[in-house]
Amino acid sequence: MANTGFSIELAKMSKSYNQKNNVIDKMDLSIVPGEFLVLLGPSGCGKSTTLRLIAGLEAPTGGKVLINGKDASKMNAIQRSIAMVFQDYALYPNMTVYQNLEYALRVHKVPKQVRQQRLTAILASLNLSNYKDRYPSQLSGGQKQRVALGRGMAKKSQIFLLDEPLSNIDVQLREKARDEIQKLHEQNGQTIIYVTHDQQEAMALGDRIAVMNNGKIQMIDTPENLYHNPTNLFVAQFVGTPQINVFKANYFNHQLLDESGAVIANLTAYQDDGLQEDTDYLVGIRPENVQLTTDATKGDFQVEIESIVDYGRYKQLTLKVFDRLEIKAVVSDWQRHGNQAVYAKLTSKAILLFDARTHERIQPSRKLEPVLE
Amino acid sequence: MLTEKRNWGWHVLLILIVMAIMLPVLFMISNSFKTLQESYHAILQLIPAKPTFSNYLTLNKQINLLRMVSNTFLMAMIVTLGKVATGLLAAYAFQNFHFKGKRLVYFIFVATIFVPFTTVMIPNYLVIAKMNLLNNVIGVALPQMADATGIMLFIKAMGKIPASLTESAKVDGIPNRKIFMNLIIPLLKPSIISVGAIFFINSWNEYVWPTLVLKDKSSFTLPLALQNYISSEGGTNFPLAMALAVIMIVPPLLIYMIFQRYILNSISTSGLK
Amino acid sequence: MLNNNSQIEEAVNSRYGPRASRKPRRRLLPFLYLLPSALLLLVFMIIPIGYTFYLSFFNWNLIAPTKEFVGLANYVNVFTDPTNQKVILNTLVYIVLLVILNFILPYFISLIVNFFIGKMKGPYKILFFIPSLFSLVVGAMLFSWILNPVSGPLALFLRDFGMKVPQWTNSGAMAIVVICLITNWKVFGYNFILLLTGLGAVPKNILDAAALDGVPKWRVIWNIVLPLNRGVAIYVFILTIVQGLQYVFTPINVITQGGPYYGSSNLLYHTYLNAFVLYKTGNASALATVTFVIFLILLFIEIKFVEGRHKDAD
Repeated sequence: MANTGFSIELAKMSKSYNQKNNVIDKMDLSIVPGEFLVLLGPSGCGKSTTLRLIAGLEAPTGGKVLINGKDASKMNAIQRSIAMVFQDYALYPNMTVYQNLEYALRVHKVPKQVRQQRLTAILASLNLSNYKDRYPSQLSGGQKQRVALGRGMAKKSQIFLLDEPLSNIDVQLREKARDEIQKLHEQNGQTIIYVTHDQQEAMALGDRIAVMNNGKIQMIDTPENLYHNPTNLFVAQFVGTPQINVFKANYFNHQLLDESGAVIANLTAYQDDGLQEDTDYLVGIRPENVQLTTDATKGDFQVEIESIVDYGRYKQLTLKVFDRLEIKAVVSDWQRHGNQAVYAKLTSKAILLFDARTHERIQPSRKLEPVLE
Repeated sequence: MLTEKRNWGWHVLLILIVMAIMLPVLFMISNSFKTLQESYHAILQLIPAKPTFSNYLTLNKQINLLRMVSNTFLMAMIVTLGKVATGLLAAYAFQNFHFKGKRLVYFIFVATIFVPFTTVMIPNYLVIAKMNLLNNVIGVALPQMADATGIMLFIKAMGKIPASLTESAKVDGIPNRKIFMNLIIPLLKPSIISVGAIFFINSWNEYVWPTLVLKDKSSFTLPLALQNYISSEGGTNFPLAMALAVIMIVPPLLIYMIFQRYILNSISTSGLK
Repeated sequence: MLNNNSQIEEAVNSRYGPRASRKPRRRLLPFLYLLPSALLLLVFMIIPIGYTFYLSFFNWNLIAPTKEFVGLANYVNVFTDPTNQKVILNTLVYIVLLVILNFILPYFISLIVNFFIGKMKGPYKILFFIPSLFSLVVGAMLFSWILNPVSGPLALFLRDFGMKVPQWTNSGAMAIVVICLITNWKVFGYNFILLLTGLGAVPKNILDAAALDGVPKWRVIWNIVLPLNRGVAIYVFILTIVQGLQYVFTPINVITQGGPYYGSSNLLYHTYLNAFVLYKTGNASALATVTFVIFLILLFIEIKFVEGRHKDAD
């Protein structure tokens, strides 16, 4: 039976453990039925707490959680229709794989035949049929993770919450497990909230990604927009590897100047209205948008190559600028040219500007076309 | 419904248990300050109308209180120091050395916890008698100076010290004796305090083995003295007995008030393997 | 580089003796650390067990210079003598009562405190534990005051309702109950803390998972918590019996001396009585050996269920 999933809405939801500072601070979030939303953020940012509040494992100290349009505070586990996969899987150690999947159904008196039918199919789809009589302690990390997933699937809930489900399994297995989760979403159409601190995982999975920090959602958007059009410095720095280059520069006469007065970049017309003359801004430029050349044109500046790391598919260069700044560049190919001077050019369209104090993004006046390399 | 709610019904039950446990102790303290008459007639009055020290003074006249307190203290101190010292040494051996038969030796050590005292009391009595240590607190203390429970608790505490610490000391060529004295002992301080406190309290209260060894009244420890004030035929002078009991419970209570957290932690871990 | 190393080695050797001479000392070292406790346990635990076993084949009075070899007569006596039989039966009654009062009751309360009251765990722990600090002689005195049929507070209280406190020291059965209650007063908090710690070690996520599965609380406890806490529970169960049978010795000796007519005596107290009051050392030794065997069986149960636990966890 395919379902469409429940909508979830958080209305100024807050959580505090000590009545002083909020772990979750007046969070607003609205998730449509059947959406795959990823909560992304560094550890301790409140993403797992958000999940626990939605699950009802903890009660918010302010605001509301609405599930399927209704206030969830009075709902029990069944009415919320939530299944959850925990980071450490939380399998019942004293039950076999089959019993783990069956337990909730048995408690809620689902007929034995229905149980058997449903579980056999789930076990087969997760390649667990041969392990159904094993205990969790006899399984590998990847198998445990699949059992946890299967236990969530068995309930046929409208909402599926996943709390860092892949962080405890080997890197090699992760991609496969990711595909499994995506397949599960396509087949069942549940609303999924997926918590992770791994931005690549987030980019690969989410319809939308909500980036969290300090108990607040910093930005919620598609992976593409997060990367190219971040709303603040935190999002710009958290998303993308290697990390975005950030340095201070002075805006003067359509140009960005370094402390020493050297020109770093010329800004195109639409980029610089709204900027104050002779004011410091934070400049963000992703490493792949730093272009290297041996013949300089206007606005280019000389760099010194400190190191080159060859990742095969691309090379990552660490550059020293004005003897002071260190910036990174990613290029597909780079040959050392003896003692020749090397110049860097910042693709002006790809420059992101942030307020030096608030770290908020200063949006260009015209919608920027995403620059793809 | 998933989050915990306060349930006052259960609290009522738990508070009743606290009262059942604590009220006898409170009444004991109260009665020790009442005269015999008052203790009869105002039996349920928790605060004595006219508090009096007369029971304590009578006690001091009837028995040599100071001597019994020092007997008990001496015995408990010897047992505690002995158990802590032998326990730390043995725990270090089990934790830091590998030798043939280690598992078997450890098993035998732990198994001694399960030996009932009646199985060893006759031979031990004969040995202590031979050593001329009857009526002597040293005779009480001597057979008890090693204790497998203490060894187990110390092993657990040592297990929490990162192995790299002792290993790096060994690489630096520091001899075991110095690692033990200068590194392990200081790091184990909290657990030495708590295990020592538990040993002291248990020994302070000890009754069975002392009744066999200490027959002469001048060698009595406090529990034996208290037993003398309890008559099985009735007619016990309870305020008097209670005054002695109050004297007995003060040191353990003080130790508990100071080291409560350490003590409860040690007891908690003793159950978890 | 090489030169450097040998210099260091030299320095180390000169300080702590050369390698060669350190080797035999090294092998002896662990035994030096073990020696004090090993020696004490050997002299006052292990050898005495053997000697008690040896004495159980003799007729002796603890003082006489000669012992009369009687073979298995003492053991036959343990199981045929009506007094001994009564004492063995009493021991079973003690075990049942101790398990109910000192194991099941604190286990139930620890479940309540861990799962049903939210906060306030700390104060209950601290208060419940207090009687564990006190001598059982104090407990015996307190209970004989409270339950004194003539002048005790309970008697005075019940008098208002026209009821009486029975002369419980005149009945073996009632005396056993009171004696068990005295140990309960002392041990309750201790066992409560052990069991509560075990319950606290059940991973919170597993309980959350069950809550999300919509499993009612008592069912989570029955199906998940109790099986997971089995190791600690069995440890406390065994402790309750092994320690409890030794603990009851004190109130028996203080209040009833095993009476009336051995009605409140048990294996351990009867051993003591035979050894140091009746001077029937052989009989006492046989009783002591039987007790030892029973405790040994309990030890093996403990090993099977409790020590085996880490293997599951690994």
